[in-house]
Amino acid sequence: MSTDSYPEISFETRMSSVEFRVHERAHITVDSKICADCSTRGCITACPANLFVSTADGGILFNYELCFECGTCYMVCNEEGAISWSYPEGGHGVVFHSS
Amino acid sequence: MNSADLNPAGINLVACVKWAELRPEIDPLHGSVEASQRSSGFSSSDFAAVESALRLAQAWSDQGQVCVVTVLCAGPEDAEDSLRDFFAVGATRVVRVDLAEQRSSAQVAELLASALVPSQLNAQFVICGDVSSDRGSGSVPAYLAHHLGMQQALGLIGLESTDPGSLHATRRLDGGRRERLLLTAAAVISVEGSVATLRRSSLAATLAAKQKTVELRKQQIDWPTEVNRLRPWRPRARVLAPPAGDDALSRILELTGAQSGSTAARTLRLDPEQAAEAVLEQLAAWGYLDDSPPA
Amino acid sequence: MTDFDVIVVGAGPAGAAAALEAARAGRSVCLLERGPYPGSKNMYGGVVYGRVLDSLIPNWWEEAPIQRWVTRRSTMLMTGDQAVTVDYRCSSWGEAPYNGATAFRPEFDAWLASKAEAAGAVLICSTTATGLLRDGTRVVGVRTDRPDGDLTAQVVICCDGVNSFLAKEAGLYPPSDPANYTLGVKETILLPREVIDERFAVRGDHGVDIEILGCTGEVPGGGFLYTNAESLAVGLVLSLPKLAACGRRPEEILAELKAHSAIAPLIEGGQVKEYSAHVIPEAGYKMMPELIGDGILVAGDAAAMCLAAGIWLEGVNFAIGSGAAAGQAAARAVQRRDTSSAGLQDYRRRLDSNFVMSDHRKLREAPHLVMSDLAQQQLPRIACGVMEQLFTVTNPDPKPGLRKIIRGQMKLNNLKLRDAISQGMKALRTFG
Ligand SMILES: Cc1cc2nc3c(=O)[nH]c(=O)nc-3n(C[C@H](O)[C@H](O)[C@H](O)COP(=O)(O)OP(=O)(O)OC[C@H]3O[C@@H](n4cnc5c(N)ncnc54)[C@H](O)[C@@H]3O)c2cc1C
Ligand code: SF4
Ligand code: SF4
Repeated sequence: MSTDSYPEISFETRMSSVEFRVHERAHITVDSKICADCSTRGCITACPANLFVSTADGGILFNYELCFECGTCYMVCNEEGAISWSYPEGGHGVVFHSS
Repeated sequence: MNSADLNPAGINLVACVKWAELRPEIDPLHGSVEASQRSSGFSSSDFAAVESALRLAQAWSDQGQVCVVTVLCAGPEDAEDSLRDFFAVGATRVVRVDLAEQRSSAQVAELLASALVPSQLNAQFVICGDVSSDRGSGSVPAYLAHHLGMQQALGLIGLESTDPGSLHATRRLDGGRRERLLLTAAAVISVEGSVATLRRSSLAATLAAKQKTVELRKQQIDWPTEVNRLRPWRPRARVLAPPAGDDALSRILELTGAQSGSTAARTLRLDPEQAAEAVLEQLAAWGYLDDSPPA
Repeated sequence: MTDFDVIVVGAGPAGAAAALEAARAGRSVCLLERGPYPGSKNMYGGVVYGRVLDSLIPNWWEEAPIQRWVTRRSTMLMTGDQAVTVDYRCSSWGEAPYNGATAFRPEFDAWLASKAEAAGAVLICSTTATGLLRDGTRVVGVRTDRPDGDLTAQVVICCDGVNSFLAKEAGLYPPSDPANYTLGVKETILLPREVIDERFAVRGDHGVDIEILGCTGEVPGGGFLYTNAESLAVGLVLSLPKLAACGRRPEEILAELKAHSAIAPLIEGGQVKEYSAHVIPEAGYKMMPELIGDGILVAGDAAAMCLAAGIWLEGVNFAIGSGAAAGQAAARAVQRRDTSSAGLQDYRRRLDSNFVMSDHRKLREAPHLVMSDLAQQQLPRIACGVMEQLFTVTNPDPKPGLRKIIRGQMKLNNLKLRDAISQGMKALRTFG
């Protein structure tokens, strides 16, 4: 059996299977200026929700809305102070149903 | 109910909320919609309705009126825990009219109206969310106004209290225009979710709400038996191979069978049993009775 | 006077068990959860081991929301296109009192928390504990993100999961090292019940648990595949620093596992129902924080009490075990009016005398061993290589002897006999 018989879903479809009750406050913020000095950029590969995107000027564009609140990013982050991490307001954020 | 609860001298504001499936899980295996307590709740416009009621009550109380905010829901027992949370944000009373199954907007409105009349909740202002999140039509408030004989202002995008018992409402009109209305009791209004975000309850109020009870009303209404639309049975669609042909025209001809000889109509005179046999035979020949897809 | 005797932060399995036991001992208990319902923030591989529940909830199996009882457990070693599986079946696991069961955490955790509520604990959801209230070094309560959100208690039990900001704030953790953590990602894939029964050769409410080594490429980790009633759980566990450095994203590595010839036929045609991710405290015993402070206890993942060592992936049972012990110890301390660190030492004693600490102490080297190159790279390749040579018919050439094959494969994979023996002995010492 090959991969053809099991077409991989797009990342958007994958993330659309998850419910997020988004709060207006960003629970994670990234200081793009600090990221400019970062050579490892582990967040880009490791964030399971793929929320870290390189920008042309060498910084990082980050959107908090579709976040699993897992903690991976602040653990792999290389530069002190680049990521401010907290939980979203109670009752908001990711909600699992069948995991 | 205790008649002292009726707050005859003051203003009774009732926010109506609908317990709805917020994130319906459609089982791709059976196509059935699964309702679960965990994925049900109230829509943002229902929350806006409750918040609007609380704000109006606050404003009018500050001007010396006695205001009572009641949250009313026609829904199943599953809703009870979430309804109790409305005590924590400041509702004085929470009432649930028992309704286990889905009903039409007209019927839901009839049920709600029976609880809102002067002898019951004695509502001067009924505030609803504009549409429920489970593909609602937004017609419940209109039916309510009809049943209660109140004025109505629906789909509001702004509310401001003025003197006690009156308020300015803003409604969207075509062409980017706005309509400003001055409303006085008694009125049914419905608000969009953007009008207000429900406040977050304090910890102490959240703890206290755990002890409160949602009042339950059992309302006996003899609904007429609903007759579903009847229509002839249709065989289910079949998967067909795409038509052969090099160009579009020949494919269309192939698909429609326009130029091929059609089967001449036959008239058979048979006994009922034989007729049934013949019909089944023909359907089978066309492939309708076979559930497996044609090769 | 405090608001409650005991505050438990986090309504996961650890928190629910702690609240249950403290409430049963007659203490007033508040159980705080940041999600809209218990379990809403939680995901895991998929198997709970219920023995720990026997003493807490008699006949729990009659009411717990489980998907299937595991009666077949496989361990699979794979390379890119090969796989060797050791498959164990046990029908007695399919009858009371059972062994393991697949379950959804949003259902399981909500059920366990409802038990704590029934025992008298007050469950408050949608409320995040944002910090500790302290009187000097003593913890006297928590601050929450609700207006007027301070709540006081004589003991705070932190069951707030792997990131435990509360245990960190209390100074119970040394600075964290990402190498101690792994990322778990998982897809829940829908398939009809009959198809699962056919493909996995099980019937009724029986199910399968497959643990996989060698499926994570250059990133140390492992994979799993579990059967639910009408869905499968397929996922990976990946070492954090190596994942961050490898340049390949988790869902790419997962897609590779799903496309493997040993896995693809099992999941073919299924629809992804939910994707999820969570971090695991992988290093177990070696990364555990201080468990006790003045007025504070730490249990479950918050105390790194998760056993994630290759063929084992257990955390829920350790969370329940440690949570229950914390609840009992807290209740006793409150009763004796000494909730200082000394008065709470009973927690440590309870853990030491049951499976929680003895398993973790015994298996303290296991995570390291399982994440080593030997287990991750060489072992799967050698096992698959040996099988291939053993069973490839090479007529007219004569069959090679097993010893020669093994030696050849070890050489091919740069494994020296000396290292193999020393590692083997180490494994025996660790697991034996
Ligand atoms: C991919 C993966 C696979 C796994 N597979 C298995 C398996 O097959 N079997 C098994 O037994 N274990 C498995 N585990 C481990 C298991 O999931 C954990 O060990 C277990 O969930 C720990 O329970 P807990 O109660 O300590 O923490 P959690 O389950 O993480 O619960 C913590 C709770 O605290 C809440 N919380 C956190 N912070 C706050 C706060 N500040 N305020 C309020 N609430 C808060 C959270 O919302 C959550 O509900 C797996 C883990 C992962 C990630
Ligand atoms: S690892 Fe940290 S510093 Fe580096 S790019 Fe990512 S967020 Fe920025
Ligand atoms: S917490 Fe997890 S999902 Fe959210 S941004 Fe960080 S790595 Fe991504």
